[in-house]
Amino acid sequence: MRRIGVFVCHCGINIAQTVDVEAVTEYAKNLDGVVIAKNYKYMCSDVGATLIKDMIKEHKLDAVVIASCSPRMHEHTFRRVASDGGVNPYRVEIANIREQCSWAHTDKKQATEKAKYLVRSAVSKARLNEPLKTSSIKVIPEALVIGAGIAGIQASLDLANDGFKVHLVERDPSIGGHMAQLDKTFPTLDCSSCILTPKMMEVANHENIELLTYSEIVSVDGSIGNYTVKIRKKPRYVDVEKCTGCGDCATACRLKDRITSEFNQGMGKRGAAYMPFPQAVPLKYCLDASKCLFLTRGKCGDEPLCKKACAQGAIDFDQKEEIIERKVGSIIVATGYDLLDPAKMYEYGYTTSPDVITTLELERLISSSGPTKGEILRPSNQQKPKSVTFVLCAGSRDETQCTWCCRIGCMSALKHVYLLREKLGDDVEINLCYQDIRSYGKGYEEFYRNVRGLSTNMFRGKPSEIRTMKDHLKLDIFDTTVNKLFEIKTDLVVLVPALVPRADAQEFARLLRLTLSGDGFFLEAHPKLRPMDTFVNGIFIAGCCQGPKDIQDTVSQASGAASRAATILSKEEMEIDPLIAAVDEDICTGCGICIEVCPYEARSLNEKTKVAEVNEALCAGCGGCIAACPSNASIHKNFTKKQLLNQVDEILE
Amino acid sequence: MKKKYALFPGCLMPTEQYGYEISLREALPVLGVELVDVEGFSCCGEPMKSVNQLMTLYLSARNLAIAEKHHLDLFVPCAMCHMALSECIYVLESNPAMKERMNGMLAAEGLTYTGKQHLVHTVDLLYDHIGLETIKQHVKHPLKGLKLAAHYGCHLIRPSEIGRPVNSENPQKIEEILKALGADPVTEYPQKLDCCGAPLLANLPESALTKTGQKLQAIQEQGIQGLVDVCPWCHKMFDSRQTKAGETVAAKLHVPVFYLTQLLGLALGVKKEKLGLELNLSPVDTISFEEAV
Repeated sequence: MRRIGVFVCHCGINIAQTVDVEAVTEYAKNLDGVVIAKNYKYMCSDVGATLIKDMIKEHKLDAVVIASCSPRMHEHTFRRVASDGGVNPYRVEIANIREQCSWAHTDKKQATEKAKYLVRSAVSKARLNEPLKTSSIKVIPEALVIGAGIAGIQASLDLANDGFKVHLVERDPSIGGHMAQLDKTFPTLDCSSCILTPKMMEVANHENIELLTYSEIVSVDGSIGNYTVKIRKKPRYVDVEKCTGCGDCATACRLKDRITSEFNQGMGKRGAAYMPFPQAVPLKYCLDASKCLFLTRGKCGDEPLCKKACAQGAIDFDQKEEIIERKVGSIIVATGYDLLDPAKMYEYGYTTSPDVITTLELERLISSSGPTKGEILRPSNQQKPKSVTFVLCAGSRDETQCTWCCRIGCMSALKHVYLLREKLGDDVEINLCYQDIRSYGKGYEEFYRNVRGLSTNMFRGKPSEIRTMKDHLKLDIFDTTVNKLFEIKTDLVVLVPALVPRADAQEFARLLRLTLSGDGFFLEAHPKLRPMDTFVNGIFIAGCCQGPKDIQDTVSQASGAASRAATILSKEEMEIDPLIAAVDEDICTGCGICIEVCPYEARSLNEKTKVAEVNEALCAGCGGCIAACPSNASIHKNFTKKQLLNQVDEILE
Repeated sequence: MKKKYALFPGCLMPTEQYGYEISLREALPVLGVELVDVEGFSCCGEPMKSVNQLMTLYLSARNLAIAEKHHLDLFVPCAMCHMALSECIYVLESNPAMKERMNGMLAAEGLTYTGKQHLVHTVDLLYDHIGLETIKQHVKHPLKGLKLAAHYGCHLIRPSEIGRPVNSENPQKIEEILKALGADPVTEYPQKLDCCGAPLLANLPESALTKTGQKLQAIQEQGIQGLVDVCPWCHKMFDSRQTKAGETVAAKLHVPVFYLTQLLGLALGVKKEKLGLELNLSPVDTISFEEAV
């Protein structure tokens, strides 16, 4: 018979105001195997921990049940306390009477009854909990960083400078991400590429960084300390060893200036042989396989002009995609964001007028390396606009589109107002329609105040519709600060669209077994205390893939994620949770079903004994093989069928 | 396949906007639609809404229940009636207690509402139920190249959550139907979703006519040959009151205004005099159509 101690936590009043903790304690005393039951205000405090340890000693306990918050919160804490007191940490059982009882109910009498059942059920499981030993695995001191925008770049450099080998994977032909598209950054008006390019160069030249551009993740297997990643290297059709980045192929391409440039947000054109932007890293050209005449039709005039033009003989139409494998100890996900497609909001006229553009499109117009060489021209007639109107929160804070704030829209629009004033002069009218100006960061409010002084017409409201008139745009806006309806005639409308998760975020999350939050961004393990961690050990998130944020916050988070990853990578060995699958060798028939279902390749057949085995380093404890085993030979340690059915029985009694 | 509907006339169409009723009764049978006149329909309820919402709901539910008694889907050509009945369905389906209460009231006449019957308006009847292909097959006299503008009217496009026959921001179904009839509609013009003015008519007649006039004036200035509507209220403003509206905005207006069903009839080969065109007060006779056989 076990000697079990039950400890009921008040959690201040979080539990105690809805659950009669005294009654639960008294009830627990009479359960089979329970030798002592106590309650205390904060069981997770030092005093609570001492109480548990003292009771273990005094009553020679060999198992502990804590009735408190979710095991997600403090299971780890209580396992350590039990271990310090001399009880095997895997003989600690948590009865969640907070999230699953006191917080969910209001009737004290009924909640108390439920808490009793939960404790009773946990005690029944504790009676059968086996003492388990942790084992350890070797940590591979290398990291994978997915996405090479500013977040991925920062995380990679941090880890590489710490001495770890980093594999940086980028889907596009060049690294740089959205930040490379920006002209200036708020609030200091630093030139974006001037501060980004050195970092990009550092990535390209760092001895510890393997840069894999134009590549995508195919699969991720394994677990913390030992991940196996398959990466698809898409064919560039350009031999990067030979390419000098001279650009002769792009000049020669038959489709030159006929394909919409993604980097320029559709504001400019490129050819099928192209480099996204002049400062691209790596400084290598690339053939667009979906557009290139030779690659799509097998024929490009008499011969492909790019091939003829390239003096180095770098063009190689025979390149095939390649799948490579890398083994890493930790992964940082920094896949960034998409802009909400303004076409979804028909009322804003994005589809009816070329003069309705987005902030990112304006960035390309302002940029001196952009399609207009930095001149602000209306797309419809290439004339200077006499009036520009910004519409903030296009889709943000909007129940019909995105409920969240994009966190960069206000500041980026204010920055644009400043830059336009500078470029277009004082006689150009600038209107700004906003809901609230959120200038929350360091130096932001001061910047906002400066811009307000630049004779900007600020309208607090959201235009209901942007109308495309013959030679101008028209919008009605009701200004809620003066309770008046204004009719604005303008030449150029700049929408500030919402920031949304990457279109393939869901698919990608499945690949890495990550969780998404309600808005579709990747979910952090704890919104306040573990903002870079995910629920998958060893995988961290940084930048806008976790939620909208500006460059400052992105860089901080990326450095944070790198440091979290380094904590793992700096260890030679890593303890692994023993709550994994095991095999009852007497029952196993060696049918192999467990091997087929295991997504972690942790199961195998011992050819000698014809019995299935578990690789403890690879098993993640998902339970797939246990459910699949036809003879009940696969078991989950401390979650045996008997234990779980007992728990159910106790609750139903 | 023959489609059978109970015709819900509403109040405005049979008392004033005869052109709509005449034309739809002539044109729809050509496309295999049988319209059944059911006895006992009352007001849709909408005019009572600001006074007594329960009564509005009851009147709508009663009409739905009558259609249900005859096992017929409802064809509601008036956009306002269509909205009232749609809203009633929405309320009763999302509020079981109210449904029970309504059924209690309907029991006095031996009626029940269970929500089995479907509701169609002219636009979705033509576009979704009959279909553009069928319409195209029946066109005898295409409205060759006629540059027309569509007016949907507020009741047809809003509120989206109760389910409306067309998209609220960018409705295109009327334009698609007009294209099937051979016309060349403008798919987008800045004033497309502007109000006809009718909702203001009772309290602010001047403002109402200003809205009407402004929209017609803009259409006229864009060289559009005619305006097409599908709601008796809108038609009342654009067609019947066009002269007055013109006076209000100090413009000489001469925009021919048609019911969609009138143009449908013409294209399908219904004789011109059977479509109530002589009842339109706007200058519809300035457009010469290929004479129906």
